[in-house]
Amino acid sequence: MFRDLTFTDVHRAEALDARAGFVMDEDTFRAFYDRTARGVWAYLARVTGDRQLADDLLQEAFYRFLRADAEHDNESHRRNSLYRIATNLARDARRRSLIRAPFNLSCSNIELVPSTDRHAAAAGTEFAQAMSHLKPRERAMLWLAYAEGASHREIAEVLGLRPGSLKPMLFRARKRLAALLGRAPEKDKE
Amino acid sequence: MKSIECEFEAETLAAALQSRWPERVDALLRSHVAGCPICSDVAAIASAIDDSRDDLRAHAVVPDSGRVWWLAQLRARREAAETAGRPISAAQVVAFACAVGLLGACFGATSTWFQSVVRWIASNLPSATALLVQHSALVLAMALVLFLVPTAVYLVLGKD
Repeated sequence: MFRDLTFTDVHRAEALDARAGFVMDEDTFRAFYDRTARGVWAYLARVTGDRQLADDLLQEAFYRFLRADAEHDNESHRRNSLYRIATNLARDARRRSLIRAPFNLSCSNIELVPSTDRHAAAAGTEFAQAMSHLKPRERAMLWLAYAEGASHREIAEVLGLRPGSLKPMLFRARKRLAALLGRAPEKDKE
Repeated sequence: MKSIECEFEAETLAAALQSRWPERVDALLRSHVAGCPICSDVAAIASAIDDSRDDLRAHAVVPDSGRVWWLAQLRARREAAETAGRPISAAQVVAFACAVGLLGACFGATSTWFQSVVRWIASNLPSATALLVQHSALVLAMALVLFLVPTAVYLVLGKD
């Protein structure tokens, strides 16, 4: 059974709309999403090592980005905010998984997509295995630097690190990955 | 102190990301990379990461932007409604507690048998306390049983 809308209902709905509204309008959001979603998904998939989790975290990251209602100076600043949210979500998800299943951590399932190129598939699997041996922060750092082309300042901002400490950390992560890929000896394991 | 930077790093990275490495790069850069641990690491991992990025992006199945926007709107409205409803619930709880307190006070003030029970407890309290102290071991054991049995049952059944 329906009843007529009262002024109270209308005011309440307007108040909810005002509170639920985002600073970013739909067109701007959709254009931003179309530019960044695949990149963020790839980042999440690589950092978490889990496609399914990356799917979930992607939507959550964009929702939190919208809810943050932050004003951004430019596209780069906006992207950094999004990646920072995604990084925090991945970190929280990892903490939750450590609590839930502390003895079942080797779960890199992101290379499960069938590939027609056998050589590329083998290389992909080798790369995934090498990445899975790195710490999540090392994976994030390398991915941002070499897949996203982020500057040191941007990486530090996204990962919540001091820019000064990033260079040596990136150097060590790069060295470890190169050694794991079998293209350089892991001789400088300081 | 060992260097962690090289002036040719950016050039090596660009060559790797543009798929020019190693065939289509300057011979000078190639010979530098061969002898530079920093640039050789960059060349080794940059192309691998780039390939992986292309592969992941190509196979990524992300939801439509319109759908994500719509779901975000729905969720934001729901959360706003929950937030708006929360102070009302809190006020209702406080009002209910006040009403119960008021009713209890009225009952206590008007009921004669209740007042007589309270007086009897007050007059017998010292002797009851003495009795409890006298049999403190028994009282303690009973309290432990009353606490431990439900806890044990909860722990056993709670595992399911």
